[in-house]
Amino acid sequence: MQSQTETKAGKVLSKNEKWELIKKRIKKNKLIYLMILPGLLYFFVYKYIPMYGLIISFQDYKPYQGIMGSQWVGLEHFKRLFADPDFWMIFKNTLVLFGLQLIIFFPVPIILSLMLNEVRSMPLKRSVQTLIYIPHFMSWVIIVSITYVLLTMDGGIVNGLLQQAGFQEVNFLLNPDWFRPMYILQVIWREAGWGTIIFLAAIAAVDAQLYEAAKIDGAGRFRQMWHITLPAIKGVIVILLILKIGDVLELGFEHVYLLLNSSNREVAEIFDTYVYTAGLKQGQFSYSTAVGFFKGLVGLVLVVIANWLAKKAGEEGVY
Amino acid sequence: MIEDKTAGGRLFTVVNITLLLLFALLCILPFMHVIAGSFTTSAELAEKAFVIFPTEWSIDAYKYIFSTDTIFRALLVSIFVTAGGTLWSMLLSVLTGYGMSRKDLPGRRVIMFFIVFTLLFNGGMIPTFLVVQQTGLLNSLLALVIPVSINAFNMIILKTFFQNLPASLEESARIDGCNDFGILFRIVIPCSMPAIATISLFYAVTYWNTYMHAILYLEDASKWPVQVLLRQIVVLASGMNYDGSTYMDVPPPEQSVKMAVIVVATIPVLLVYPFLQKHFAKGALLGSVKG
Amino acid sequence: MKMKRTAVAFCLIGLVSEACSNNNESASNEEGNEGGGGSGTIEIMSNLHTPEVPEPFIEEKVEEQTGADLSINWVPDNNYNDRLNTAFSTGTLPDVVYVNFNHFNQFKDAIRDDQFWEVGPYLDEYENLSKLKDNVLDNSRVDGKLYTIYQGRPLSRQGLIYRKDWAEQLGLDGPPETTEEFFEYAKAFTEQDPDQDGQDDTIGLTDREDLVYGAFKTVSSWFGTPNDWGVQDGEIRPEFMFPEYVDTMKFFRRLHENGYINQDFPVTSKSDQQDMFKNGTAGLYVGSMGDVGTLYNDAENINPDVEYDVHNRVKGPDGEYGIWSIPGFGSLQLFPKSAVETEQELRKILDFFDKLMTRETANLISWGIKGEHYTVEDGKAVMTEDSQKFDREVKPYQSLEIGEPATNGSYQLKAEYAPKAKSEELNIDNEDFLIEDPTLTLDSETDLQKGTRLQQGINDATYNFILGELDEEGFEQAVQTWRNNGGDQIIKEYTEAYQELQ
Repeated sequence: MQSQTETKAGKVLSKNEKWELIKKRIKKNKLIYLMILPGLLYFFVYKYIPMYGLIISFQDYKPYQGIMGSQWVGLEHFKRLFADPDFWMIFKNTLVLFGLQLIIFFPVPIILSLMLNEVRSMPLKRSVQTLIYIPHFMSWVIIVSITYVLLTMDGGIVNGLLQQAGFQEVNFLLNPDWFRPMYILQVIWREAGWGTIIFLAAIAAVDAQLYEAAKIDGAGRFRQMWHITLPAIKGVIVILLILKIGDVLELGFEHVYLLLNSSNREVAEIFDTYVYTAGLKQGQFSYSTAVGFFKGLVGLVLVVIANWLAKKAGEEGVY
Repeated sequence: MIEDKTAGGRLFTVVNITLLLLFALLCILPFMHVIAGSFTTSAELAEKAFVIFPTEWSIDAYKYIFSTDTIFRALLVSIFVTAGGTLWSMLLSVLTGYGMSRKDLPGRRVIMFFIVFTLLFNGGMIPTFLVVQQTGLLNSLLALVIPVSINAFNMIILKTFFQNLPASLEESARIDGCNDFGILFRIVIPCSMPAIATISLFYAVTYWNTYMHAILYLEDASKWPVQVLLRQIVVLASGMNYDGSTYMDVPPPEQSVKMAVIVVATIPVLLVYPFLQKHFAKGALLGSVKG
Repeated sequence: MKMKRTAVAFCLIGLVSEACSNNNESASNEEGNEGGGGSGTIEIMSNLHTPEVPEPFIEEKVEEQTGADLSINWVPDNNYNDRLNTAFSTGTLPDVVYVNFNHFNQFKDAIRDDQFWEVGPYLDEYENLSKLKDNVLDNSRVDGKLYTIYQGRPLSRQGLIYRKDWAEQLGLDGPPETTEEFFEYAKAFTEQDPDQDGQDDTIGLTDREDLVYGAFKTVSSWFGTPNDWGVQDGEIRPEFMFPEYVDTMKFFRRLHENGYINQDFPVTSKSDQQDMFKNGTAGLYVGSMGDVGTLYNDAENINPDVEYDVHNRVKGPDGEYGIWSIPGFGSLQLFPKSAVETEQELRKILDFFDKLMTRETANLISWGIKGEHYTVEDGKAVMTEDSQKFDREVKPYQSLEIGEPATNGSYQLKAEYAPKAKSEELNIDNEDFLIEDPTLTLDSETDLQKGTRLQQGINDATYNFILGELDEEGFEQAVQTWRNNGGDQIIKEYTEAYQELQ
């Protein structure tokens, strides 16, 4: 409300007066600038300085020649990427997995934390919380190998049960149709409990008096959830959503790489796994950097759009 | 809180709790299997005949990993880095996050954009290594902390939480004569303990899991945190060292040893959350400050 | 309440700043130490193949015996490439770098750019280094020049491990001598209940998601397929353009169709593959014959009656033996000029490696200390009971070895377990019918750039053919794709390089 009136007033101010106003605000906030200085310094030194390394995506970088000595090749590496016959397949796979993450995975921690919030017994609630965040600490290597033991056709537990129940065995591991469900279920299993932590924190910040008031008005649990809890954590949800969208091409290299096999490559190959075999494994730094650069650009575009939409919808946005 | 005593309400409670317990069970079964596996022999594991209760119990795997001080030392390094790193990161993130939550700050949007930008682009391993080298961190445990001082994601979450605090709180503090630091430490932080606890946990877990930086920046193996050991043993025991020199024919470590290392390297970090949980108590802090 | 919280918060800040200043101090101390290392030390970067970094015990002994001051930078095997590339790109390579063959190719550019010392001319001056085998050294030459010394490995350890007790139970006489007999074994092990438990719970062959170190490549060399690349009509062609490769695929397809091999082998990890062999699910294991020792350790605990045997001579349809070979080294040692600045320094390092190749020191890093880690029987090393002690104190140092027992005089292993001892003999027997890769010292820029990715297409097609998802025409198409996307160029480059050498 306040900032709105300010901008409205700003329109009638002259440029000079506006500048004066900003100067005054800067002065007023000098302690704040002091506060953010160490953080900004960190970002500058450890994040921005190394970014000069992105230059090599326009070079034929040879480690022993360094960035200064390596030859410039312009957009050569980008052309190679787009010309790769598998480019669109990889692009599509990446987007599909991202879509699954967004549509199927993203709401799960929210629902879980709403469910947890409804548990009245504190010890029970805390125990469940503690148990469901354990999977986050299991490495993908272990998760994938446990999945193998469960699902293999060579004496796996699930296929054993299916057979006993009179069903056909299912080729979970090699059939490409099973890759996506397996991927997203593993992500949910590993990360859903972990994801609740942040929403529980947001819920904890909700003013308890609001619930009391609602109860007096005769609102049931679902109405309280819908009208109090959800609106209260909406801000956090939107921020997480935008950040998640920026992460569009980070789908967990190790996870996908471990699940990838000759039978499911058509649906499982994503940019990270592609870069690993096409570039990094053979020390082609330029090419892999170029692919990373491309990923960053896609992410940037999406974040800008998502942020703009969020602002349009009256939300805060990330910047 | 008043119990919902209608029939529908009770049904909801039963279904809700049942589902949660089922999910919790699903979440811990594999970990229980790992724990059980660490208490048996590798032959028993190769037989693949048990899920939770092996027929033959053995503590040989633990005897083996605790027969030298390697894992103790690695655990100590991890605990030290995690504790120190979390405090340091929280300090910087809270300062930056609070600063960025101030809507009247000129330049705020631009600065935020530049911070978000770092989530999307990074210069890669080699330029970062050079900066770490230039700033004199190589071979120091600080190399595991300083180059990752602030996680932009965590900082943004904190900022969001700070923003959601009622503006009236700050104003009343300002009237009381507090400056910005005073407001932050006397009002904002105490009112945001759930968020502070959450982000501390995030940082703690990230520091606990750090391993690539240790390999890149620390030559001295005695400074390696426990994840390096864990990772090495898991990869070797699973026969997955896809990057390694395949001509070497070194017998892999035993599966039960692998599981024992997983248990030892995971339990400490699992203990952090229950410890922080009291800060998630609903609205308590907010109420007390207001009162 | 309010005051207390504030106090806590401020304490926190105090702690942090204090902790930081402490850390800073320790950091600067360490830098000091690093700088104080001096130029007398030989810095070595090597793979760590064991879970833990070794106790420095053996290292100190080596320093004593060679008079050198060592600093070994152990890098976990799985991340060696990252570490190596970082060090390389930032000019922080140590004096000696251990690289395996795959990594070596990436260094060829830099080697040609004179970034590493050429050591060929010096080797003759050293008593022991001059003994290094020429045929192995030749495999690491770049443009005919020698830049490396090597750590020797048997040329081929590939072969078959099988359940002897099962074979006897079913009246199968001796090991399979031909690929068709091998197939019959797989069939009998699957269908005739070799473990006599009345249940259909066994299979023939256990394999894993690795076409090279799993069963496929070894079986394909029984069929007479070239080793990665073969020569035909004066042209270098990839193995998969030879009919023997297709025959091997058909062989595996038959195994798979009939259920004689684990159905999920394209996604089976090494440990799961081995588990199937240990726990009596499968009776045939194709790979490194030396694995029999560790396989038996667990298998014996599950079933004390289990009997394994190893075998290497399996004839293909053409009646010939064949087995693919590695270049004869496990790793190569490079000497970067950025770290080794003068010829004098290089000589000092070579002198160290020369001493490392004396019988005494070679035994020290291979077996440890006599009486403590091993004893000698019949001129061979016998490991003492305490294998943990050996694993921790000695085993990691084995990766530092230069040469092989034949050149550095270290003891061979005397295995207590007969099949393990036999596997050592069969490794040598393999040398009678090796199939070598003709492109070892040849270069193809295109292969370096696109090879891995292109090969992946072929691997996929191979698996899919075996699984029955692809027919012969489909496989031909995959080969055509390989050729069109750069394969033909690779063939051309290798062939030109090959003809130049002829």
